[in-house]
Amino acid sequence: MASPTHPNEAPAPRPKRPGGGILGALAGPAGTVWGLASSSTFRYIVRRVLWGVFLLFVVSAITFIIFYELPNADPAQIRAGRHATPGMIKEIRHNLRLDRPFYVQYGYYMDRLVLHFDLGTSFYSEASVRSQIVSRLPVTFSLTVGAVVIWLLIGIPVGVISAIKRRSLLDRATMGASLVAISAPVYWLGLVVLFLFANDIGLLKLFGGAGSYVPFSQDPGTWLNSLILPWLVLAAAFTAFYARMARANLIEVMSEDYIRTARAKGLSERRVIFRHGLRAALTPLVTMAGMDIGGLLGGAVLTETVFNIPGVGRYAYDSIVNSDLPAIQGTVLFGAFFIITANIVVDIFYAFLDPRVRY
Amino acid sequence: MNGRTDQLRRRQARLGAGSSRVVWVLLLAALALTVGGCGKKSSSTLKGKKGGTITVLTAADVDYIDPGETYYAFGYEIVYTTQRPLYGYKADSLVVVPDLAASEPQVTDGGLTVTVKLKKGVKFSPPVNREVTSKDVKYAIERGFAASVINGYAGAYFSVIKGAPATPPKTPQPISGIETPDDHTIVFKLSRPSGALIGALTMPLTAPVPEEYAKKYDDLASSTYGMHQVATGPYMIANNAAGSISPGYQPSKLIKLVRNPNWSSKTDYRPAFADQIRFEEGYADATIATRKILSGTGDVNGDFAPPPAQLKSILANPVQKKRLFFTPVSGTRDVALNSTKPPFNNLHVRQAVAYVLDRNAMRLTRGGAVDGKIATHFIDPSFAGAGFEAAGGYAFDPFPSKNHAGDVAKAKAEMKLAGYKTGMYTGPPVTMVAGNAGAAPNTARVVINNLGKIGIKVTPSFLSASAMYTEFCNVPKKEPAVCPNVGWLQDFKDAQTLLDVTFNGKDILQAGNSNWGQLNDPKINAAIDAAEKLTDKKQRAAAWGKIDDMITLTAVEIPWIWEDYQTIFSANVNPARQLWNQGGPDLSWMSKK
Repeated sequence: MASPTHPNEAPAPRPKRPGGGILGALAGPAGTVWGLASSSTFRYIVRRVLWGVFLLFVVSAITFIIFYELPNADPAQIRAGRHATPGMIKEIRHNLRLDRPFYVQYGYYMDRLVLHFDLGTSFYSEASVRSQIVSRLPVTFSLTVGAVVIWLLIGIPVGVISAIKRRSLLDRATMGASLVAISAPVYWLGLVVLFLFANDIGLLKLFGGAGSYVPFSQDPGTWLNSLILPWLVLAAAFTAFYARMARANLIEVMSEDYIRTARAKGLSERRVIFRHGLRAALTPLVTMAGMDIGGLLGGAVLTETVFNIPGVGRYAYDSIVNSDLPAIQGTVLFGAFFIITANIVVDIFYAFLDPRVRY
Repeated sequence: MNGRTDQLRRRQARLGAGSSRVVWVLLLAALALTVGGCGKKSSSTLKGKKGGTITVLTAADVDYIDPGETYYAFGYEIVYTTQRPLYGYKADSLVVVPDLAASEPQVTDGGLTVTVKLKKGVKFSPPVNREVTSKDVKYAIERGFAASVINGYAGAYFSVIKGAPATPPKTPQPISGIETPDDHTIVFKLSRPSGALIGALTMPLTAPVPEEYAKKYDDLASSTYGMHQVATGPYMIANNAAGSISPGYQPSKLIKLVRNPNWSSKTDYRPAFADQIRFEEGYADATIATRKILSGTGDVNGDFAPPPAQLKSILANPVQKKRLFFTPVSGTRDVALNSTKPPFNNLHVRQAVAYVLDRNAMRLTRGGAVDGKIATHFIDPSFAGAGFEAAGGYAFDPFPSKNHAGDVAKAKAEMKLAGYKTGMYTGPPVTMVAGNAGAAPNTARVVINNLGKIGIKVTPSFLSASAMYTEFCNVPKKEPAVCPNVGWLQDFKDAQTLLDVTFNGKDILQAGNSNWGQLNDPKINAAIDAAEKLTDKKQRAAAWGKIDDMITLTAVEIPWIWEDYQTIFSANVNPARQLWNQGGPDLSWMSKK
């Protein structure tokens, strides 16, 4: 939780234990277990993790309920085809365990998930859902990390410069461009860049187009080339959003009393901005970044679809189209897992980024 | 939606239980249609260049990778490249030819015994590596009845074999009516003569499966043989030493076919030019995929149609136009009216709807004339010589209107006959369940608008195609008054496959029902029973043509388009199509230039 104090005021009393952060918690007073267990940060982490697990249960239950209570396709009928007899449908329903009450199915599912980390098998491809997701994670990870690097490296500096050069031509131009980037739907932007820059269907044949993705281990050069356009498209809206957020935060922070104090102390403007202003201004962006990264690791559905990148998002899309409950459940749980984990990690690291924060 | 255009792309025809005494020669003659009416002829020849890789772009994955399970046009593109059913087709042809069979089937015993001789020297791919025998064909058909496999058409076409299970056993069980007197002869003993069975000998279920290898996979609750399948055709899905096809099949990503080292061209009519075939999946955007094909980075579309705007652009380009082919999908898209619910339990109200529908506007929702001809009855032009002319051909149009735009005056006249004095419906709104993707919702909106012209207000629900079918339109108890996005395709070039299961009152099922109008007209049921028994080709075509007319006049379903499928080939390949399979690429015949 954030305290209302700022760095130049009297610092909040630090805990007696060495370090209120995770490193301190892990070290303990003398590296003892007692130190670990008694750390308030550690307790906080445990509490958050338990809540995270509980949330995953809730998410999985809700997915099950949605599948059963809302109009959905009947997997048994789909599997049986148009010549299905009632006997055939009944037998398939039995094989897929769809003839049991939903809570029994849910219990069975959770049993396998908790005890064996088994997400079941697809109703259609017979493939293990876990292996399908795991095989696609590196793809989604590649896409996400690249996009994050781009939007942080571009978005934050642009936002900072805009804040410093407030109301300048540069500020207006970058903020105007960011509005365009935020407004451009990923799907549309993806098509535009493909038609302009893809090396197969583009006007300027510069980068790999749709379906060109290969794993890094197979061909690093092609991997890089295939991801440049998806990275740019995925990062576009985020870059713009982060630039605007960084600008707004920095402008707000720069009007704080402690900034005035810092200036009054004779610190250089550069030092005031980067040492005092930026640190406070960027802290909220960490929270945003954590949630965004978590969400994207769960699948960048549109980008993966436009560029035909075989990631988790694409798998989620196919699962929904096919009413493939095990696959839907698996992708939802993975997405929820990443979001929850990212939130926990962000909250923990918040303490290091913002000295005002204590748990 | 999954599939080439949407669910209509799936093969979903069925022959009813009461089949007829059909001498196989007549049936093969009926199947042996020429290319006429199927668009321009592509240029596949035996002169293609050997080698190279053909790349097929697809929007989605196959329905099932198991050759005994797939019931989907895209799935057939693979199966007819990797497997050898008893009979098959050459590229760009509707003529049935022996494939694994050595000759035509011999029908004896008054149609109750069908004997097929098999070729020698046909071998399974690794890791099985042995010669195919008749027992492998027997097992392939038997496994189709098992709940662990669930073939979509075994019950419809092969249940006439003596001893075929009435309800699916959990795992494959022997069928007494399939006999294998020697390794190269298979005999089917039938409970009654059946032309349907003869026709079904072209289907993938007759492709051999080695029992000693497949049984351990088939005996699971849900067979995994598909992931360990072996091939008999010129290509196989790339596998490892243990037989797993995981190197060649990555669901929704890639299917890689390589040459089957045990295939011998001496036993096959297929030239198999290419060294490798890659199905690159996941092109959800048909525009991008079509552009890739036009640019040469893909070679042909596997399960999607080029978008209408692009079709028009391609047709306007003389060079690209030569690479675009139209093939009838052999079926219709229909608006189904539930004849068990008011107001559509009244014939005149249904006929009023048939008059008022603006079929031209409906067709425009799918791209206009490039999508096919406006349908005025069910047997489509691809059935030339097999019922189309007998049904009146293009001339039979019982609910005509100028430019097919609908005739409100005639519709209101029908409404008056139905008891609505002003010609306008005065009852409560009717229910509708429509598709929510692709062109379906727009088609439904045209229907809603048209119904409004005779006062019928609609309460629509828009769902995925699979939910629309399996939860509502296929379930009589939950079926809405209107299902505006249904459709039906043939399995064989026999009108019975279009009209029996869809309109025979005895085929109304409580789940999985495809008689969407719930038509149960004793006269029509009797006519269908009689037509099934006809053996003379002309008489048979005439009978089904009349039935088509009778059904059309009931207006329980209103056909509105005889759709075409468009195949686009890159400039790098010599085209070849499976005309019998809605014009999909025939990969055993395509070659690189």
